[in-house]
Amino acid sequence: MRPDDERYFTRIEDRLDEAFERAEAAKAQGKDPETEIEIPVARDMADRVENILGIPGVAERVRELEGEMSREEAALELVTDFVEGTVGDFDSRAGKIEGAVRTAVALLTEGVVAAPIEGIDRVEILENDDGTEFINVYYAGPIRSAGGTAQALSVLVGDYARALLGIEEYRARDDEIERYAEEIGLYDKETGLQYTPKDTETKFIAEHMPIMLDGEATGDEEVSGFRDLERVDTNNARGGMCLVLAEGIALKAPKIQRYTRQLDEVDWPWLQDLIDGTYDDTDDEEADAEDGGDGSEDETHEDAEIEGEESAEQEEPDAPTGPTRADPSQKFLRDLIAGRPVFGHPSEAGGFRLRYGRARNHGFATAGVHPATMHIVDDFLATGTQIKTERPGKAGGVIPVDSIDGPTVRLANGDVRRIDDPAEAKEVRNGVEEVLDLGEYLVNFGEFVENNHPLVPASYVREWWEQDLAAAGADLQALEDDLTTDLDDPDAEQALAWVEEFDAPLHPAYTYCWHDISVDEYDALADAAAAGEVTGDLLVVEHTDTVRRALEKLLVEHTQTEDALRIPDFRPLLRQLGLTDGLRREWERADLSAEAEEWDGGDNAVRAVNEVVDFEVRERAPTRIGNRMGRPEKSESRDLSPAVHTLFPITELGGSQRSIGEAARNRTDKGKGVYDVLVGERECPDCGEHTFKPQCPACAAHTEPYYECDECGTVCEPDESGRVECPRCEREVESPDWHTIDLNDEYWSALERTDEREASFEILKGVKGLSSSDKTPEPIEKGVFRAKHGVTSFKDGTVRYDMTDLPVTSVRPEELDVTVDHFRELGYETDIDGEPLIHDDQLVELKVQDVVLSDGAAEHMMKTADFVDELLEDFYGLDPFYEVNERDDLVGELVFGMAPHTSAAVVGRVIGFTSAAVGYAHPYFHAAKRRNCDGDEDCVMLLMDGLLNFSKSFLPDKRGGQMDAPLVMSSRIDPSEIDDEAHNMDIVRQYPREFYEASLEMADPEEVEDLIQLGEDTLGTDDEYRGFDHTHDTSDIALGPDLSAYKTLGSMMDKMDAQLELARKLRAVDETDVAERVIEYHFLPDLIGNLRAFSRQETRCLDCGEKYRRMPLTGDCRECGGDMTLTVHRGSVNKYMDVALRVAKEFGCREYTIQRLEILERSLESVFENDKNKQGSIADFM
Amino acid sequence: MPLETSSRVVQALARRGYNAEREAVTLIAESSSPELALESAIEAAPEDALVLTTDHVREALEAEPVPDPKQVDGANRSPPSTDTGSTATDTASSATTDDPAREDPSVSSGTPAREPHQDAETDPDETKGTGAGARSPNPPVVANDMTGASTGTGAYDEFVGVFRDRYERLSGQLRGRVNHRPADSIEAMGGGADVELIGLVNDIRSTASGHWLVELEDTTGTFPCLVMKDRDIADLVDELLMDECIAVSGTLADDAGIVFVDAIHFPDVPRTYRPSTADRHVQAALISDVHVGSQEFLADAWGRFADWLHTEEAETVEYLLIAGDMVEGVGVYPNQDEELDIVDIYDQYETFSEHLKEVPGDMEIVMIPGNHDAVRLAEPQPGFDEELRGIMSAHDPQIVSNPAVVDVEGVSVLMYHGVSLDEVIAELPEEKASYDEPHKAMYQLLKKRHVAPQFGGKTRVAPEERDYLVIDEVPDVFHTGHVHKLGWGKYHNVLAVNSGCWQAQTDFQKSVNIDPDVAHAPILDLDTLDMMVRKFV
Repeated sequence: MRPDDERYFTRIEDRLDEAFERAEAAKAQGKDPETEIEIPVARDMADRVENILGIPGVAERVRELEGEMSREEAALELVTDFVEGTVGDFDSRAGKIEGAVRTAVALLTEGVVAAPIEGIDRVEILENDDGTEFINVYYAGPIRSAGGTAQALSVLVGDYARALLGIEEYRARDDEIERYAEEIGLYDKETGLQYTPKDTETKFIAEHMPIMLDGEATGDEEVSGFRDLERVDTNNARGGMCLVLAEGIALKAPKIQRYTRQLDEVDWPWLQDLIDGTYDDTDDEEADAEDGGDGSEDETHEDAEIEGEESAEQEEPDAPTGPTRADPSQKFLRDLIAGRPVFGHPSEAGGFRLRYGRARNHGFATAGVHPATMHIVDDFLATGTQIKTERPGKAGGVIPVDSIDGPTVRLANGDVRRIDDPAEAKEVRNGVEEVLDLGEYLVNFGEFVENNHPLVPASYVREWWEQDLAAAGADLQALEDDLTTDLDDPDAEQALAWVEEFDAPLHPAYTYCWHDISVDEYDALADAAAAGEVTGDLLVVEHTDTVRRALEKLLVEHTQTEDALRIPDFRPLLRQLGLTDGLRREWERADLSAEAEEWDGGDNAVRAVNEVVDFEVRERAPTRIGNRMGRPEKSESRDLSPAVHTLFPITELGGSQRSIGEAARNRTDKGKGVYDVLVGERECPDCGEHTFKPQCPACAAHTEPYYECDECGTVCEPDESGRVECPRCEREVESPDWHTIDLNDEYWSALERTDEREASFEILKGVKGLSSSDKTPEPIEKGVFRAKHGVTSFKDGTVRYDMTDLPVTSVRPEELDVTVDHFRELGYETDIDGEPLIHDDQLVELKVQDVVLSDGAAEHMMKTADFVDELLEDFYGLDPFYEVNERDDLVGELVFGMAPHTSAAVVGRVIGFTSAAVGYAHPYFHAAKRRNCDGDEDCVMLLMDGLLNFSKSFLPDKRGGQMDAPLVMSSRIDPSEIDDEAHNMDIVRQYPREFYEASLEMADPEEVEDLIQLGEDTLGTDDEYRGFDHTHDTSDIALGPDLSAYKTLGSMMDKMDAQLELARKLRAVDETDVAERVIEYHFLPDLIGNLRAFSRQETRCLDCGEKYRRMPLTGDCRECGGDMTLTVHRGSVNKYMDVALRVAKEFGCREYTIQRLEILERSLESVFENDKNKQGSIADFM
Repeated sequence: MPLETSSRVVQALARRGYNAEREAVTLIAESSSPELALESAIEAAPEDALVLTTDHVREALEAEPVPDPKQVDGANRSPPSTDTGSTATDTASSATTDDPAREDPSVSSGTPAREPHQDAETDPDETKGTGAGARSPNPPVVANDMTGASTGTGAYDEFVGVFRDRYERLSGQLRGRVNHRPADSIEAMGGGADVELIGLVNDIRSTASGHWLVELEDTTGTFPCLVMKDRDIADLVDELLMDECIAVSGTLADDAGIVFVDAIHFPDVPRTYRPSTADRHVQAALISDVHVGSQEFLADAWGRFADWLHTEEAETVEYLLIAGDMVEGVGVYPNQDEELDIVDIYDQYETFSEHLKEVPGDMEIVMIPGNHDAVRLAEPQPGFDEELRGIMSAHDPQIVSNPAVVDVEGVSVLMYHGVSLDEVIAELPEEKASYDEPHKAMYQLLKKRHVAPQFGGKTRVAPEERDYLVIDEVPDVFHTGHVHKLGWGKYHNVLAVNSGCWQAQTDFQKSVNIDPDVAHAPILDLDTLDMMVRKFV
């Protein structure tokens, strides 16, 4: 590690230490459930693994093994330790296996995700039919977050431990085998699997699986056959088990095989048959002959999955008759939702033009779009908006890049213009008649590596052209230094001069989309130009539909009058049309070769152009990328619903608002604000007082949970794992008990202690009841301060703010609304070129744990800081920690980044702010949280808030309760221990010419990987924290609209109307198809689903909320006699009926779709209208 | 297109806008040049005729020098064989064993009428004598039809009304057997009292010790009833469905909080039930699930069925009852359009209507909708609307609601499409209901006297002014379809028939391993209620 990096981490850790010191002093007062900080610091992965699992000694052993072997091997090696008892303190055999399996999963997921604690419920030892023992691993839904490889390996680890302990293999009964097959099918139908094994495959696996895979019921649907099995507790699909069997074992068989080979004790010979697909007795031999490979690649099944996309290269006859293109893929259009527009149909001309490159705010599942485009698509795109895309991945977060081409539009007056200025885009967008082209779409090379997608033909762009020019002998450096030359946008004379001088293709600025017009159109255009005239610096040609449309498709800017089209800067166009400056046509149609005439069936004129001109004209935009809007971007505080200020239980007394003030005033039969509620019983170790509070009301000592057996009254102590069992009755003992709470007193004395009045906040909200195992309430005082400062608490006591993740590797202090002084204070000394940091607009390479907060997040963090400071002063009696007066004071402060489904927080440092509604940070920071940037969102918390207020005691005692809670924090990021997806990001300043040329052949990304440095190339070196170069700059990381129109438009109908309006405007979009899909994927399922729900609905009591499966015969609520109501009403069933029919007819949807709607409409009438008392409607008379 | 089969003749006539007498069709089909015969017969018919009569054909055949009818190619008329192995009862025609060696398999041994294709020289005139075979069915009388009388508006009270009506009517069936005590007054009887109550099953749970807790509900409230696991009646709990109406008798527990059940009573069909029969020898064909429009619709098999109806042997088959799913429908499942032969729903019904025209014009047809048809899915389903009726008007079928009770020559046939069978089969133990023996699932419905008791599951309910799904009167025949499996049998003398289908195995059925019984036509003797099944595979 470079000293510079060491200094950076030390700086962060010093601040962390300061915070710990203060927080420890606060916690030591005993006012919280525990007297210590509950988020331990993990310096590396081994620490995290140990902390998440809570098994002492694991970290040390992991560190020992890490140097010697891979993580997978270490997981297997640890099995021996567990079995021998050298690691972990487990008495039972099941416990040892459980420990080993959990550790393996934790190791393979880098101790970040919750799968090892939440995804594996338990391991049991059961009996085979012959009386021998076998082991059963009981999985739960959250095993999903472990991913296939870790899931599969957990099975192997379990089996290895089994073998070492001398337990027999599991022998599945026939009905159990059949059950597996049926269940996988059911789960796939209900939830969906990435890979669904065929029934024969599932049965084959089940038959040979040496340990039993079992799990918790997840779905609502039950299997229809093979029910009520003795050894299977449930008739529902067991989600965790299905994932492990299908996406683990079946999909990752080759990977497991690699490890079974290393183990003498474990022998899974059947894996080979599974890999070869020879489990089906019938085609045994065939498959053997075909594929006798050793299966060392794990791509066998994955290949099959992406087959469809890759067939493009295969259909190459001897002489190609058309250009090389990637096959259009429809996938991204699936499940189109109303209100989220399509920007381009698959590979459709007029859609986004693929440009290779990585902007500084780019990489890692993101897509660079010109900010002008964002405005032109009616603001539906904003920084951070997720789009579902055709390729190379499935989805990406949109980022603004203004160093690429903007959109080309035709205005109402017929003018065709390219718009490269967001301000201009906003000005003209109401006058846009058609969006002829959406502009460029920047995708970095690493994206293709990550998705293992063959390269697709590159657009001809400046960075490629200049390498062509240099290769042809030009002195590029001299050109770059020449201030009179604009290499991005040279004037026409210059561009033509280069063509004369060097044997390089025409500059991209004058290279038109010849591949989008036909040879006939090319011919017609040449004729029209020849018949035109030059007036001043304009070429004027006759205005005909053919000529106009051809110019529009070529993206040639022009203006028009009723009978003339006027083209400025026309000389390069004339040259490409084969005309002299005197407008003499120098070629005949007959001169064209048959190949040029027939290229792509005559629909592509690029060959013809190249035959006509004496220089090379490359394809301007061979690859168009279709996409549509996915999720909108997000930047908002995370509030429970209803919001909660303090985790203090007030039953129903606070009304639907859960107001503590209201509850305190509410008179019950016990008195004003007095009620019974289930809360944790605690005992004071000093005076023996019993209370529910963490601090003894009598002597102020810290109390501990008190466990007394209900049966025999024995007072019990929790064991190491936290379980409490009565030694006499052998039953589980819990601490919660019924307490009578006088909230009136509690509330007012809390206000008194905090020296606050009720007027200092609008409302103070509590919770109905507590869902944690010990049901420990939070002090009301914390809620008072939260309410006062306008923040709310998450289920674990922390204050959180959610933001869409986006990456950024270099920033300018200016764009982050901070100064260069701030940066220097934070340890930044030079800009990306190594120049001293002096100006606010210098570009600086971002350090890995530095984060940029959205304006909303910053405001929220300021409120949180105020809350924390007041809490420290007035509740704990300590010095304030933040003393934030203005936003700038947050710069340099530490936060936690924390993603859903994980259990480890990552420490980050605030360096600035952005108006975009996203959380920009280093890609490695996001990867450390196991996020990529394809629209994922996660949260930040203020460091001190987490340290003071987080407690495991608040976490819900249910499956998934420990997810999304900071059980451990990583204080520094080790690039080797993050999600390796981020390692595939390229970090160079320029892609070489060979790369662009390889793209034309649709080469596999591996073939050119050596030419472009990726993050993984620097791992483990001194450069692992630096040198993240980019190919494209953007003037600001927050350009374009701050919020997507999806969020600013009101009703669903408004959004959908805007979506369809946009579809009409975009050349690359077929609005009928959009309408069809909105109806098919949104309206029809909604209508059908609600109609179905209506006819089998539950009912609910309006007064007490009691629900009934069926309407009671009494008519009224059986519980309270209150009025009942339906849960699905007519209004919710037919809300989309009229609009769906209107859209279907207006946009010319298929008769099939219209008929489906009409039948539904009649069904609705039939159900909701009285035949004998019908409202007369026009339809009745037709 | 060659016109040598009756059904093709009918189709050709239909295209020209004619219906035809069966005899007339036979004459044309058997003439040596059916095309010519058909054309000249139409010529002969008066301008305003809608029905082509035997006389028209004879006139045409006599006027024109039409060659004598020659032997009809047997290959085009595959033998309608009787499925002797599976006929429920021994009927006259079951004697007709399927003998592939026979030259003329289409004529059963029981009917000694004309055998025109046996003898190439036979003069068609000879058939004049058998004209007495013309059908003269009485229009069936339909009850429980709610078509055009759907008064529900989807209000909460209407739902309550439906379940109350169900309770009133079914508890009425049980009141003779038990002395009902309202749920809210049971507790007052004190521990140890004998108690009987009637209620809708509101909940079924097993207790920790393996006993069954059945909660019954009447119009005053609910009461828990415990069925001990070691009692014989514990098996009956397996048969229970939610929301069916049962009666229990038993003893009140000491704390009067629960009834220990000694006996469970179902509304049921009395064992002594004696069905009515027709007073003449007349038959009805009971079919369902035609699925026209599906790529799997078996047009050829249907043609053979229709042909057979034109034969002498089928002369007494005067009624055709179709229990739903005339067409494959649209939007029944996702991406269905990719698997449709006819994508347009109206075209589907048009085509169905064409196929229906192949059936002799003098038969009476009754049909109810199914879940693939273009009506609401919620039950009861009203019959087709005017537009669809217009399409199918040629045969003037009676189109009524699902379910409906059809009185055919004094025999009452309860027609119900059968969506609830899926649920009965899923919920009940295999020996009591399975896809292989769908009639056993039907027995359960008869026993519960309700065609779709369970609310909230697969069956959808639209509230109406009464519960049309209650089986008020015991029917003589219970006819369903939907599951595409053939099965029949008698339950307390009521004949339960699930007809098969006219759609070959679909991909979906293949994936769940359902092997449908295709192209079977159960033929019911209305005078004896004996049934046999004809195969047209």
